[in-house]
Amino acid sequence: MSSQDSHDPRLEQAAATDDSIISAHEKAAEGRPDVDGNYRLMPLVLLFVFSGMIFFGGTYLHRYTGYFSPEIFDERQHAGGPVIAAPKMDPVVLGMKQYNLACVTCHMPTGQGLPSVYPPLVDSEWVTGSEERLIAIVLHGLKGPITVKGNVYSVAAMPAFGQVAGGGYNWSDEKIAAVLTYIRQEWGNTAGPIETATVTAIREKEVGRAEWTEAELLKLP
Amino acid sequence: MKNGPLFILGLFFALALSWAGLALGTHAQLGDLQPYYDDLEGKAFPQRAPGIASRGQLVYQDLGCMSCHTQQVRRPSYGADEARGWGSRQSVARDYVHQNRPLLGQNRLGPDLANFGKRAEAAGTTKIDLLVDLYNGSQGMPAYRFLFEEREIVGQTSGNALHGVAPDGYELVPTEHAETLVAYLLSLKQIYEYPEARPYAPDVNQEGAR
Amino acid sequence: MTQTTSSTASTGVSEIDTSSRCALSFLIVASLLWLVTGGVLALLNLVQTHSPGFLADCFLFTHGRLDAMQETALVYGWAGNAGIAVALWLLSRLGGSALRGTNYLVGGTLFWNIGVMIGVCGIAFGDMTSFSLMQMPDYVQPLMLVAYALMAAPGVLAWTGRRNDSTFATQWYAVAALFLFPWFFSAAQVMLLFVPVRGTLQSVISTWYAQNLFSLWMAPLAIAALYYLVPKIRGKVMPNYDFAIYGFWSLIVFGTWMGGRHLIGGPVPAWIPSVALGAGVLVLFHHMIVYLNMSGIGGSGGVVMKFAKYGFYAYLLSGVIDALFSLRSFAVITQFTLFQDAQWQLAFASFSLIIFGALYYLVPRISGAAWPSSGLVRGHYLATLLGYSVLIISLGFAGWQQGTALNDSTISFEAIAAQYRPWLLVASAAQALLLVGNLALLVNFIRILFVRTSEASASQFRQPRNLEASSS
Repeated sequence: MSSQDSHDPRLEQAAATDDSIISAHEKAAEGRPDVDGNYRLMPLVLLFVFSGMIFFGGTYLHRYTGYFSPEIFDERQHAGGPVIAAPKMDPVVLGMKQYNLACVTCHMPTGQGLPSVYPPLVDSEWVTGSEERLIAIVLHGLKGPITVKGNVYSVAAMPAFGQVAGGGYNWSDEKIAAVLTYIRQEWGNTAGPIETATVTAIREKEVGRAEWTEAELLKLP
Repeated sequence: MKNGPLFILGLFFALALSWAGLALGTHAQLGDLQPYYDDLEGKAFPQRAPGIASRGQLVYQDLGCMSCHTQQVRRPSYGADEARGWGSRQSVARDYVHQNRPLLGQNRLGPDLANFGKRAEAAGTTKIDLLVDLYNGSQGMPAYRFLFEEREIVGQTSGNALHGVAPDGYELVPTEHAETLVAYLLSLKQIYEYPEARPYAPDVNQEGAR
Repeated sequence: MTQTTSSTASTGVSEIDTSSRCALSFLIVASLLWLVTGGVLALLNLVQTHSPGFLADCFLFTHGRLDAMQETALVYGWAGNAGIAVALWLLSRLGGSALRGTNYLVGGTLFWNIGVMIGVCGIAFGDMTSFSLMQMPDYVQPLMLVAYALMAAPGVLAWTGRRNDSTFATQWYAVAALFLFPWFFSAAQVMLLFVPVRGTLQSVISTWYAQNLFSLWMAPLAIAALYYLVPKIRGKVMPNYDFAIYGFWSLIVFGTWMGGRHLIGGPVPAWIPSVALGAGVLVLFHHMIVYLNMSGIGGSGGVVMKFAKYGFYAYLLSGVIDALFSLRSFAVITQFTLFQDAQWQLAFASFSLIIFGALYYLVPRISGAAWPSSGLVRGHYLATLLGYSVLIISLGFAGWQQGTALNDSTISFEAIAAQYRPWLLVASAAQALLLVGNLALLVNFIRILFVRTSEASASQFRQPRNLEASSS
């Protein structure tokens, strides 16, 4: 026991040599032999505590890491759990957007088209009538004259908008369904909406098709 | 512990383990994260900010704005980020793929800025409004007068001049630092809802329509 | 109890000490100058937090830059220099031979401090990197690495060339700190500055680096000093020393994973903050073991023991608080607030207090004379203890209040600022008090540099006896 009667703040005295510190602790680290079958409680306590920590860490990691998925930013989420689907855009809104992107140039914002050149969509039997025929026109395009509301339009051709060979627009089936739903309820038209699935079915049925002619279209139901 | 080389190896291995796990592991997971292409919109998100905004980011960084502002929105049920209008969804890694140095920040002595551009757009805040705020400062934010300069009016007055300060014959104009900084702030948007950013199911079920 | 004749053991010891006098004094004076400079910058920074208009017109001292400057000055200037000085002294003493390569050490110290100066000035002119605790501009970072290698080399040499084959806990911790620092420093430099990783991965690596800076650099150096000072001054073998090795490895293995606690709720995968919490709990095992070993630290003692004691308690508290506030339910309140500043100050205080104790012990030995003024020593001690306590408590309360207010969307930022303003005024006063205390230390140290050693002063050092290898 060092006999430091006063602790002089200007100089702290050493109570042990460096060599003895090293050697004494080295001996202490070797541990005591189990004399008389005595055992120390400390190692068991420490082992218990450490195991408890590992257990806590393990369960916490199991629950709150989403199995280390890089897609999970919310720790409450389970990996492979329910995924919230994207909110669906209103087909009429999407359809109007698509219409204004591409269709207005010919069919006009009013849907009236241009006399003798582009057929109108307002009150047109092709628009409000058969779904299949309408989808076919937009998917693959139209070539040759077509009679709409008693008038013949033979000057221009309609390009292919679908994801078909030779098509320049490559609109997805969802977009086509949307734009057709839009025109079928706009400007006084009151026909029903068109499902994406219907478009897909028709596209898959008519693979490798060139533009339709009026005669071929009329053969469709 | 007597074995010197083994000790050093052990140390190195312990550090290498955490480096491999955190640095390499996350790099393997998110290292080549791509923008998300939205078929309906026909665009990839996040959209790149204009070049002037990238220069503004350097100004933001060199002024040290992230010592008071964060640019990361926490999920709606964690804190009041959504309630304060800072963002309707959690910021995810993909929001920052185009940034050279994401300035996430660690202090909120001022509001979060991740969606500042979106808020400014909604409120109709213009570039000039922001420049005026920068010059004047506010109760919590210092005035950044050194980002502006007073110069003599030669010919026509500048469209960017701030009124009411400079004496006759002079105008107060923002320096390039101020202009790029404001352009950067106005470009801050995290608008697109990526698949991984969609709210977790309990948030939707319990609160009904979100 | 003075002795005029010295045994071979103490001749060796005093030779070790005097041979390193010049190099270590250089390190220490540099560290104290940075401590005072950093203290001034930190005070200005804290004043700006409650009075934003202060120095707002000076572009060199705009808040963001000042924040980075004070951080850099204190961590790389004060902690860097002082930590290395203490580590080298401990390793040379325990290695049983004088420091070799002191020329490299002096050269390294010079370049390190030039680097920090360029770094701080570079930040003032706007070249900061924006990475917390690594704000020095790109152009100075490689210089720091080279300077560091020059400074750490004598320490590693002192360990490889040690007389005893066995090693003591101090040596494990000190060598670990000296060895690991360049690895994580260079890794961070490459992955953040020179070949940057993409997007938010930068924040993962930045927090990894900042955590390593404390867990693998500052903490081991402080603990190394504790493991030496406690048996040295108390004269007793530390209890449960056979577990010290587990305490050491749990710090090294688990400590580095804790960086993710700064990224809770952030744009990184959720597993990163979760892993950080797990590591934070496991690293408490290290704190437990060190606590068991340090039972001799309590009780009455001189200034050295008092600094060591309070630094140690701060270290334990820091470990518990870091782990506790990595829990998301607490982090929702304290994240992004002044509470985080309080946490950092607590960790930094634990390092600083222990290193102050170590300096008060080792400086008389390398100078061969006692500290000139006991008043300055006591003044520094009281100012530091009071200053840190008040600073940490006021920042903690301010942060908690700020956090609860931030989570209430009806409270405006002006109202929040008005709420924490009084706390920050108190904190500024505490920071000023710390500065005064550190100035006292600087003055005292400069005075000791000019004291001429003589036979009379050498006899002040009492001859220590040999420690008995008692059972734990």
